[in-house]
Amino acid sequence: MERRKFLGLGLAAVALVPASVSAFDFRKDKPDTWKAKKVDEAIKALYGDIKPEESGLSINVPKIASNGGAIPVKMTSEVQLKSLALFQDANPEAAVAAFTIPADVKTVNYMTKIKMAKSGSITLVGEGTDGKFYKVNKKLEVALGGCEG
Amino acid sequence: MANMKIKAKVKGDTLKCKIQAKHDMITYNIAKKKGVDANFITYMTGKIGDRIVFEASTSQFLSKNPIIKFEAPAAGIKKGDELTMYWKDLSGKEVTEAKKVKGLK
Repeated sequence: MERRKFLGLGLAAVALVPASVSAFDFRKDKPDTWKAKKVDEAIKALYGDIKPEESGLSINVPKIASNGGAIPVKMTSEVQLKSLALFQDANPEAAVAAFTIPADVKTVNYMTKIKMAKSGSITLVGEGTDGKFYKVNKKLEVALGGCEG
Repeated sequence: MANMKIKAKVKGDTLKCKIQAKHDMITYNIAKKKGVDANFITYMTGKIGDRIVFEASTSQFLSKNPIIKFEAPAAGIKKGDELTMYWKDLSGKEVTEAKKVKGLK
């Protein structure tokens, strides 16, 4: 029994270490999120049944994107977040990216470029360190679709 | 080399980074049309030493040669520290590249 306990402790320690240093791969842990066709389904697959507040986050995108192949999306938050996920409803699947926010980042300031096949809306959902969920939604027009290659 | 462009700079209390990964980001639609396999970056991290400053799981809808900008607190970053970016794509290719953080005395 002693030996078994000891081994168990060792395993627990090993399991704890990587969790604190690294790393949450949303693709591995939440595979359904990336297959979902609708934004609502993708959010549900990622965070469960949540009721996000419409505040705390903001997205900055051009009103009319001339090139749907590279639309700059600026994501900022006023609240401290644990994770942040970006969705849109113009492409075959909804999820674009999910970010794990390091614990020392107080307010998020990220930018990335995304593809959209046609006009649609972009949704950003964040999980706050306070346990609340935040959401923001923005429409934009795409002049030239970007999923054709 | 040349799989990634990395810029990292400390300004005041903030570490500002700009990354461009060189990747075609082939969506499933394009793959079907062109008869090739879909391939895109699925996971990305940025580290300074052991500290993770950026972590993202991504899908095929990032642009071709995706650009990512992010900010993190600069506390604890010393002159000579490097930002190590890592990404992995659907085919299993992994790339790690590092660049010195600028703007520190």
